[in-house]
Amino acid sequence: MGSFIDVKNISKTFKVNKRAAGVSGMIANLVAPEYEKRQAVKDISFHIERGEMVGFIGPNGAGKSTTIKMLSGILYPDKGDIKVNGYIPYKQRKEYVGSIGVVFGQKSQLQWDLPVIDSFELLKAIYRVPEDRYRKNLERFTDMLDMGSFLNQPVRQLSLGQRMRADIVAALLHSPEIVFFDEPTIGVDVVGKESIRDFIRELNEKDRVTMIFTTHDMQDIEKTCKRLIIIDDGTKVYDGSLLGIREKYGTTRQLDVEFSSRCEIKSIEKVEIRELDHSDGRKKRFVFENKEVQINELMNHLLTNYDVRDINISEPEIEGIIRKIYNGEAS
Amino acid sequence: MFIAPYFAFAKKSFLGRSAYRFEHFMSILNTCLQIFIFAGIYIALYNGRSEVDGITISMVSTNFVLSMGLKAVFCVDDYFLPSKVWDGSIANEFLRPVSFRGRMLAENMGNAAFNVIFHFLPALIISAVVIGIYPPENIVMLLLFLLSAILGYGVLWGISFAVQAAAFWAINIWSLSTLKDVFVNVLSGTMIPLWFMPEWLYEALKLTPFPYIYFTPVQIYLGQLSYRQILQQCGIQLVWIWLIYLLGTLLWKKGQKKLVVQGG
Amino acid sequence: MKSDTLHVMAVYTKTIMKAWFQYRTDALLSSLTVFFREATGIIVIYFTLLKFGNLGGWNIYELLFLFSLLFLTYGIMIIFFTGLRDFGKTVRNGGFDRFILRPRGLLFQVIFTNADWFAAVGHGGLGVALFIITAGEVGIEWNLRNIVYCIFTVIGGVLIQGAIFLLLAALNIYLFETNSLKELFYWNMRKFAGYPISIFHKVIQICMIYVVPFAFVNYFPAQYLLRKPDMAQYPAVYMYITPIIGITLYMLAYGFWKYSLRFYKSSGN
Repeated sequence: MGSFIDVKNISKTFKVNKRAAGVSGMIANLVAPEYEKRQAVKDISFHIERGEMVGFIGPNGAGKSTTIKMLSGILYPDKGDIKVNGYIPYKQRKEYVGSIGVVFGQKSQLQWDLPVIDSFELLKAIYRVPEDRYRKNLERFTDMLDMGSFLNQPVRQLSLGQRMRADIVAALLHSPEIVFFDEPTIGVDVVGKESIRDFIRELNEKDRVTMIFTTHDMQDIEKTCKRLIIIDDGTKVYDGSLLGIREKYGTTRQLDVEFSSRCEIKSIEKVEIRELDHSDGRKKRFVFENKEVQINELMNHLLTNYDVRDINISEPEIEGIIRKIYNGEAS
Repeated sequence: MFIAPYFAFAKKSFLGRSAYRFEHFMSILNTCLQIFIFAGIYIALYNGRSEVDGITISMVSTNFVLSMGLKAVFCVDDYFLPSKVWDGSIANEFLRPVSFRGRMLAENMGNAAFNVIFHFLPALIISAVVIGIYPPENIVMLLLFLLSAILGYGVLWGISFAVQAAAFWAINIWSLSTLKDVFVNVLSGTMIPLWFMPEWLYEALKLTPFPYIYFTPVQIYLGQLSYRQILQQCGIQLVWIWLIYLLGTLLWKKGQKKLVVQGG
Repeated sequence: MKSDTLHVMAVYTKTIMKAWFQYRTDALLSSLTVFFREATGIIVIYFTLLKFGNLGGWNIYELLFLFSLLFLTYGIMIIFFTGLRDFGKTVRNGGFDRFILRPRGLLFQVIFTNADWFAAVGHGGLGVALFIITAGEVGIEWNLRNIVYCIFTVIGGVLIQGAIFLLLAALNIYLFETNSLKELFYWNMRKFAGYPISIFHKVIQICMIYVVPFAFVNYFPAQYLLRKPDMAQYPAVYMYITPIIGITLYMLAYGFWKYSLRFYKSSGN
């Protein structure tokens, strides 16, 4: 209790139509459709403090979006409690939503046929933003995101990256205390992504705005968030720092060794030896758990017994670790 | 075999229709209600008279049941081609080994087949029970009715294709498509049986494709035409299909050229 | 109502208008199309009556006067209730999620963020033209009483149709698609309402009076002004209660809408 965002044991179930294939399936579906229950979120809990920046990741259909929708008040949780900034989102909707901003990467909130600025003016009226604050925010954000050139262009003429930047500003004009980003960089090119990340980071650091992300792009997380919540199949499988995930799951190490000549190595206990391609047996990779094998012992063994030309140790990529977590390989 | 992919398209759209079960039952009900509205109006108009201009009330009811039923079968999505022009995916269609127009027709026929079984027949049975219709004159006339109905579908489908192909030039297809529907509905006998049109208008209509969509099959069903006349009417239907096909081909070719010139 | 609310309404309306005027020729063409489409009903009545003389004792002008009230009320109604008519689309494309995230009333946003001006101009224009022409032909006397009666009745007729759309919008929260329901309970009933209900089967009359009370939108009001003999079979009070029916039905629909909101389950990706 008492955190800025408190989420306790929330669950959400949806009913989906099960559809059988073929002509007989079609007729069966016309006559008596079958439904199956799909639990999108199963008993998730977490706390987030003011000013934190947290990334939600997980494979498609893991329950990220459903969680965000419950946090922002769009959906009622079937079970459990949510309290954000002292509000219960789905009960005190009008009071609550004035203090949050939400960016859906896939669904723009801008008026398609009108210049960007018209949408901003509309939002200003909807959120009752005072004139001076509106001016200040607009000036600052458009400057930071370099939007001056297309503020007066109709949204339908903007590139995806421009539209996304405009959408982000639209969600921030009323100076929200919490911002939810659902896939904020989807479909945006590399440069655009970088500028969006910089902007988000600066806003978090300078204004202490609390931010919650969902993304597919691990780079988004690595470059912005310190904390990571991984959701898979509706349950929380990891909650901690980005560094922690390496310590906990990224325990595999690999040693790539180049020998001066072709050599045969007998098996070494608890180490997997792989031949690297196009090397005539000169390059080999040694994969092992760093708890089980002392790296200096292994290196010593290789250096003393063989003629080693080059050696290279690497830690696993964060993306690879997370893929392993989804697949249930890591434990 | 080259017909196989088209059959696959037709089957796909046939099967795809089961997704909205509730919607489907409602649309049958809607068709029936529209038939009842017109039947109700004509009962009041006849006001107990056994016939007007040699047309009995049962013939009027039969006209509405059949033409509304066929209308439900013939429904064509006028935005299929336009939506592909708008999002640019039409360019990919030019590269495929199957004819795009053939594919459109196949998908639409899959739909129509679904509508015949799950829409036309239920609506026919319900309205036959509620308001009563004539049985077909005889089995030969029933078969000729079916043949003529298929030709009527060809006429309507061709018109729809031409309207859709206009999307290469016009942005507002909605207006064009809606106006087309207006003409088809009023001039082909689904809202007012063509027997009751003013004489001069009826004569003028015979020079347009509209009476050949719904009204010709209905007349055959009711045994109003001799074999000679049936042959003649079906011949005119074929001529219209051919003319409209040529128009569609022209628009399609020109549209394709326009697209290539503009580079998509 | 707070002055702030009025301000937002004004900004919404300005935004819709601006978007509408982005495509001026297109807008004009669409409005004209609506006008033509709706005018076909009139053409059909005209041709039919040319042959048959009268329909259940109503002549062509009386029938078209009855018809004009439908267009008139729809033209006004659609300025306010387009958002309800198209609510299914708003739910499916995630627009309603966005409304939830904004600190304003939900129904308020649904209503004021959308207005189909094509339909308003098309139907409304036809309604006004037809009303003026036929009112002269059927000999309605424009005294104060009749004018006040017409104003209140039109408001009532607008509310009745708005209530039907509101009910259907609320149902959309439970059902993915309600287009056919709309077709059944609104558009088909409206087609019946284009003719004197007394000519139809009893079951349909009951539907039009007590289930989807379209009869109060145009039939009973027209009877007040025309006094055709077929009114004798209905209670005379029905000619006066259109505004009451409108308000009551709208309140009921609003209650159902409020109740239904908690069951909203986003469209999901």
